[in-house]
Amino acid sequence: MVIAKNVTKYFGGFLALKDVSFEINKGEIVGFLGQNGAGKTTLMRILTSYLSATSGKITIGGKDISKDSLAVRKKIGYLPETPPLYPSMKVRDYLKFSAELKDVPSKYQSKQIDKVLQECNITDIRDKTIRVLSKGYRQRVGIAQSIINDPDLLILDEPTNGLDPIQILQVRKLIKNLRYERTVILSTHILSEIEQIAQRVLILRAGKIIVDETLESLLNSNPSLKNKSIGSGLLQEKSELGFKNDDKGFALTLEEVFIRLHLQGSEERDE
Amino acid sequence: MNKIISIAKKELGGLFKSPIAYIILVLTISIFNIFFFMLIDENREANLRDIFKVMEFLFIFIIPILTMKIFSEEKSTGTIEFLMTTPTTNTAIVLGKYLGSLIFVSVIIGMTTIYYFIIEYFGQPDRIEIFMGYIGIWLEVAFFVSVGMLTSSWTRNQILAAISSYVILFLLYFSINFVKYFEGPVESFIQYLSTMSHLENLGIGLITIGDLVYYLSGIVIFLVLTRLSIENRLRS
Repeated sequence: MVIAKNVTKYFGGFLALKDVSFEINKGEIVGFLGQNGAGKTTLMRILTSYLSATSGKITIGGKDISKDSLAVRKKIGYLPETPPLYPSMKVRDYLKFSAELKDVPSKYQSKQIDKVLQECNITDIRDKTIRVLSKGYRQRVGIAQSIINDPDLLILDEPTNGLDPIQILQVRKLIKNLRYERTVILSTHILSEIEQIAQRVLILRAGKIIVDETLESLLNSNPSLKNKSIGSGLLQEKSELGFKNDDKGFALTLEEVFIRLHLQGSEERDE
Repeated sequence: MNKIISIAKKELGGLFKSPIAYIILVLTISIFNIFFFMLIDENREANLRDIFKVMEFLFIFIIPILTMKIFSEEKSTGTIEFLMTTPTTNTAIVLGKYLGSLIFVSVIIGMTTIYYFIIEYFGQPDRIEIFMGYIGIWLEVAFFVSVGMLTSSWTRNQILAAISSYVILFLLYFSINFVKYFEGPVESFIQYLSTMSHLENLGIGLITIGDLVYYLSGIVIFLVLTRLSIENRLRS
């Protein structure tokens, strides 16, 4: 479904991505992990044709995104980190506008809007102005927009970012329901999100992919990761804020755990 | 074409859902009305030449306020990312937004046609001259909107976008005052650049190929530059 070969991206003199290569098969759910500035959003923006790569090649569904951008964009649903909403529009009008821009045939638009309203569980707010909606609802409207054209590839950039624990659980449940018959790429900081949704993990660090494994093999090859996946430091901070240690919304990020383990491993080897 | 209309409808809807559109509409028409009655009272002539000049001058101040948010707001809220990742060409995005704003300013100009009916009732105006004057003011405003769109595509700060528009429009409007400092082809070029000299012809019912080329090529150039701007600034 997605083939990226040696994708490099410079912003002026700053190297944002360096020789990033990967393949994602149809129906796969892949999580991009990495700290802020690792290159997740840049990579997602390149996949959606919002940005162009400085060098390298990406094909989606067999089509080169630099040569056949419009055709590729028809197959993609994208939710940027901040849901791209027009506050003065009503939810239904916004979805209609999205459907029109995403080439949904006019005779199916109404049906498709009702379908995504139902899928995202926002039918009851369809006539509300976006400005008055809570963050959780706005996120769901953003997701509804991303699936209005029934895309083959769904790209979600930190879909639970900034939500409260209840909203996080609601959005995760929604994404879990959307993943069937679609290829999904999502970026996140949270380990439990990957555990619950994704099958495969790509960990980015300073613009490079440092891990590309299925979650199962990653956990098998690093048994201590299982034990330490719900890390200590961050959870301690969270527990001080009154959250329970088993709250899945507040686990240590996989990248942090992974890097910490590698550092520990190298330190042990040095000794 | 459908997408251009969808974007234009969204632009118009957004304008009419914000108080700024109504403030602009009421304020502009009120100021035009005051000048219309003052000029008619003073000149006692059945023509709209002077009111066209007033309209031209006031539109220099109004258009940047109207156009400053066209792209700036999309950039600051992140909705530009949505627009540009849908299967919509950048040309359609630019034309859709342009059409939406153009319809809004056409409504303002349309409301002033009442002046024609008033002078027609009291006198015998030259209809062709007034018609040409309206064509001229519409072309000029269409040109100003394209300038405003370009500056709005430069920044996510609406105030900066408006200031940039003012700079360009003032230069275009007042450039005729600098003609005396130059000679030969430079003088002719500066004279040609000035919006004032072109509207003057249309205001007296004179339409020339040069004036039409000025406005239409200006609109096309600024729209093409806007398209390049949204492409380059987001892809650099």
